[in-house]
Amino acid sequence: MTDSKQVSAFKEQSPLRAKISSLFSNQSVVLIITLIVLGAFFQWGSEGGFLQTDLLGTVLDQWGSYILLAVGQLFVVITGGIDLSVGSTVSLSSVVAGWFVVEQLHKGPEISGGAAIPYVLLIAFICLVVGLLVGLLNSWLINKLKIVPFIATLATMGASNGIAVMISVGMPLQGPNDWDLGKPWNIFGVDLPVSTMIVAAGLITAVVGLFLHKSRFGLYTYALGSNAFATRGAGINVQRQTLKVYMLSGGLAGLAGAYAYVRLGAGSDTSGMGMELYAIAAVVIGGASLMGGVGRIVGICLGTLVLFVVQSGLLTMTVVQVSPDLKQVIVAILIAAAVAVQTLQNKNGRK
Amino acid sequence: MSGEVIYEIKNASKRYGSVIALDGASLKIHAGEVVGLVGDNGAGKSTLVKVLSGAHQPDGGQMFLEGKEVRWDSPRQALEAGVETLYQDSGLAPHLTVSQNVFLGRELTVKGILGWFGFLNKKKMEHEAHRDLEEVGIAVPASNRAVSQLSGGQRQAVAIGRAVAWAKKVIILDEPTNHLGARQAGEVLNIIRNAKAKGLGVIFISHTLPHVLEVTDRIVVLRLGRIVKDAPTSEFNGDTLIGTITGTIQTIKVEGD
Repeated sequence: MTDSKQVSAFKEQSPLRAKISSLFSNQSVVLIITLIVLGAFFQWGSEGGFLQTDLLGTVLDQWGSYILLAVGQLFVVITGGIDLSVGSTVSLSSVVAGWFVVEQLHKGPEISGGAAIPYVLLIAFICLVVGLLVGLLNSWLINKLKIVPFIATLATMGASNGIAVMISVGMPLQGPNDWDLGKPWNIFGVDLPVSTMIVAAGLITAVVGLFLHKSRFGLYTYALGSNAFATRGAGINVQRQTLKVYMLSGGLAGLAGAYAYVRLGAGSDTSGMGMELYAIAAVVIGGASLMGGVGRIVGICLGTLVLFVVQSGLLTMTVVQVSPDLKQVIVAILIAAAVAVQTLQNKNGRK
Repeated sequence: MSGEVIYEIKNASKRYGSVIALDGASLKIHAGEVVGLVGDNGAGKSTLVKVLSGAHQPDGGQMFLEGKEVRWDSPRQALEAGVETLYQDSGLAPHLTVSQNVFLGRELTVKGILGWFGFLNKKKMEHEAHRDLEEVGIAVPASNRAVSQLSGGQRQAVAIGRAVAWAKKVIILDEPTNHLGARQAGEVLNIIRNAKAKGLGVIFISHTLPHVLEVTDRIVVLRLGRIVKDAPTSEFNGDTLIGTITGTIQTIKVEGD
């Protein structure tokens, strides 16, 4: 009914060209190609071969222990924030859970196998609660005291770590554990590189990912990082969204604490040391922007994988010997490369 | 020309510390009327907009929507009551798609248990966003296109279209023609005319006085937090409007205190 002449020219790109250009600007495609190239390279470069079940199992186990942190971090980064406290939350939650089971319930490592399952679940629950509380504290500092996320979470990072050391007195708290949870699956006599723990972490990632990309909660997460002012103007409670996002990050860090507990069979004040940096690295390599508004769950899963494939791959190389001390340098190079690729893509996209 | 009073603010005041941003401002908007709000920088336009849109609470004064006294504790309340606001230069989230922006804060969810968890009905929103924008006179690009891929004029068209499509009673447009070319600005003015024809009360804030003179029925001039002139647009021309804004033309103080 309205006259169409008043309307500006909204030109459509040809669908094929649009598809091709979106394919190349898609971080996930870049990462998959990177993984294939890396896999082939390491396979060639190590005598025993890189693509074997036990090595892949190690890589996936590292992936499992970091992916929950990376996913939580992704949400925070999409809102334009950062959560430095996640590594300390891993330590604190595993220590608190270990302390409760060992010191209060007086259950030790002699309980193992199936009998330990109820205790492992209890530990996971306690870890989750501790993580949620750290997230609550973070969002309170950010929302009510108006402290920027970097400083707010730096403070809780130090505090959580300190409390973890105080509770554990620097000693691992060994409790009940079912070691089978971390063992590779064997189906019909075939060893698979996955364990129950890895699958659990993967399932949690998938569910949280669906919420990020399909639900209102996810949409508000992007909206907040894209334009906080417009988000508030649309009638969305920005502080409540911030609260939810930091509690999600904290809660997932707590579950990563439970993962660390099952791996070690103990709660330890060092179990999450430095993990926050890897989580942030994984998120950046996975294509999220620290400016907010950008990032996808598949990208972060692949980014985390790239991080540990590179590390393990370099260490298994026999053609050239790579010192384990180079690990941090390699991570640094990966981050720089990922950010450089992002910047170039943005330039091309905007023209 | 216009219907009954749809939105009214009486004797509103607002201070920021020792600065008096709004000093006893009173204003009536009728249904199907476009009111231009003009004034120099710091005259109190933004403050008045924020009070009217629910972003800020006035220190004193009353507001009435369709004769009933209202008080906004948040922009959300104003939105739900039918008062839409398009803020200057910040209407949209660039990383979201056109339809996500149009439906932001009012998303449609799928049916059943997934809907209870907040899962969104993307297809339906894309379809309806397209239709709603067309209705207010905007040919939209694909609803699933990210706003960052649109030109400045397209973005502004989507932002205004969004506000007009949702507005039930009043729409407040803060500098909607800013940074737009002549042709695109003309499109925006047409959308304002459409909104007026729909029977909405429109508040149009602009520094571009020719646009104000072209599209409004009445002009309200703010100076130093006070409303110094409130008269039909036909009583102004370019020179008298500038004179009134800058204060070189003396004005009789309108009712207020």
